[in-house]
Amino acid sequence: MRWKAAEVPLNRDASERFLPWLMAFLIYLGALALAAAMAVHNAVGHWDSGLAGKLTVQVMPGAADENPAITAERVARVLEELRATQGVVQAHALDEEEIVDLLEPWLGGATESWNLPLPQVVAVELDRDRPPDLTALSARLGEVEPGTAIDDHQRWLGELLDLIRGLQILAIGVIALVALASIGAIVFITRTGMAIHRPVIDLLHLIGAQDSFVAWQFQLHALKQGLRGGVVALALTVLTLLSLGYLLQRADIAFLPAVSLSAWEWCVLALLPLLAASVAMITARITVLATLARMP
Amino acid sequence: MIRFEDVVISYGEGPEVLSGVTFHLAPGSFHFITGPSGAGKSSLLRLMYLANMPSAGQIYLFGQPVENINRKGRAELRRKIGVVFQDFRLLPHMTAAENVALPLRIAGRPEDKIKQHVAELLAWVGLADHCDDLPETLSGGQQQRIAIARAVITRPSLLLADEPTGNVDDRIALRLLYLFEELNKMGTTVVIATHSEQLMARLNHPVIRLTDKALYLETPQPKASGTAIEAEAEDVPEESAA
Repeated sequence: MRWKAAEVPLNRDASERFLPWLMAFLIYLGALALAAAMAVHNAVGHWDSGLAGKLTVQVMPGAADENPAITAERVARVLEELRATQGVVQAHALDEEEIVDLLEPWLGGATESWNLPLPQVVAVELDRDRPPDLTALSARLGEVEPGTAIDDHQRWLGELLDLIRGLQILAIGVIALVALASIGAIVFITRTGMAIHRPVIDLLHLIGAQDSFVAWQFQLHALKQGLRGGVVALALTVLTLLSLGYLLQRADIAFLPAVSLSAWEWCVLALLPLLAASVAMITARITVLATLARMP
Repeated sequence: MIRFEDVVISYGEGPEVLSGVTFHLAPGSFHFITGPSGAGKSSLLRLMYLANMPSAGQIYLFGQPVENINRKGRAELRRKIGVVFQDFRLLPHMTAAENVALPLRIAGRPEDKIKQHVAELLAWVGLADHCDDLPETLSGGQQQRIAIARAVITRPSLLLADEPTGNVDDRIALRLLYLFEELNKMGTTVVIATHSEQLMARLNHPVIRLTDKALYLETPQPKASGTAIEAEAEDVPEESAA
């Protein structure tokens, strides 16, 4: 005996067949937006922790024909003042090779063609709990070696944080729009399904089906379609993120952070299809119950 | 079981199909409803299985006024009612067995019991070899028997049938009527809408005749054989004025 066909044959509807693809597309967009928000958040955290408690002191280049010994002496005076300052944990002058490494991404690898007077750079690590007064430090360094500049990266980091926050709000907006579009699509498709299968629904009612029995048919279908779409979307998202990570790695652009997600962030992405399918299921149920409540 | 009090039936702004309908069908009774086409037989049945509400008046089913019953309560009430629709209303995507099983599945009965009942009932209506057939592959008579099997599988307290023997030959018609009588003997209240005077004559039960928007009761003459169900003249008023 053949058994257990669904009471409402939703899987035969033309409109129902494209639901998984629509869901896949929407979940994919949502997943990319979420991944972008998480990756950007990570990058900010990385930059912030990398720069917190650190500053850079630039000792301006002297005349083009300045004796290197004099230059070294000027740097030594700055180092001495820095090391004598309370709240400075460590200070060391970058050698020429390190400075070239820093500038290479912006100026290119052909260093002989730069022909630029390069400043001497001192990397300083501060006591995070008791940092020195930077204004006073700057003034003292100016007295020791005129033209010496301090950069604590806060201005650059602040502007970057504003940008990142803007991007995060944008990503959240995209996710919200995607969620709304998904809910709208499911409501529309569910109502269409109910109109198509009205005779079946009427019959089920006449032989004693509760509204919840009818709603179950639609919500189960929406759950399955959401899961199918979600799995496709997840596969596409993983593929996209891995490809993007590979391309960024190959491009070797120093100022762009690596697209990296932590294990739990990958788990959040993996849960997205389940979440989307659950939302689809709940939306379908609410739609059916609300529509049936208006029927005689 | 069923009480109509001054019930008026009309559709939208259209004319009244029936008006001032008042009667009472006692539990365990067996009645025919007859009348010319358009007299309101099906409309009367639709009120009984809660597919429509009256335009005016009051209907009591199983002792409850139907207008006070909410959707959940109506669904529970419908589970006590078996309906054989004139157009069968079989679900085309489901097999004969699945169609018959539908009321049991809706009622949440265990699957093994459902299979057993369905197989027995399909065998009884002579369709044991058609369990897995889709309705479109069956004849009108076979579809009608599936519709009847679906209506009786829950052993309802009230069985309503709209022209249940219209598409079957005499032998099957008689067999189905005996099924209805058996159910009636076990306590099911049976109401059959039919055009067939021959059918009504064969079974000696009260007839509700619809004419000119009004309803009249014809009580049967007791048969010598004693097999007919006794008339229940007190259940239905002699005449309900339009």
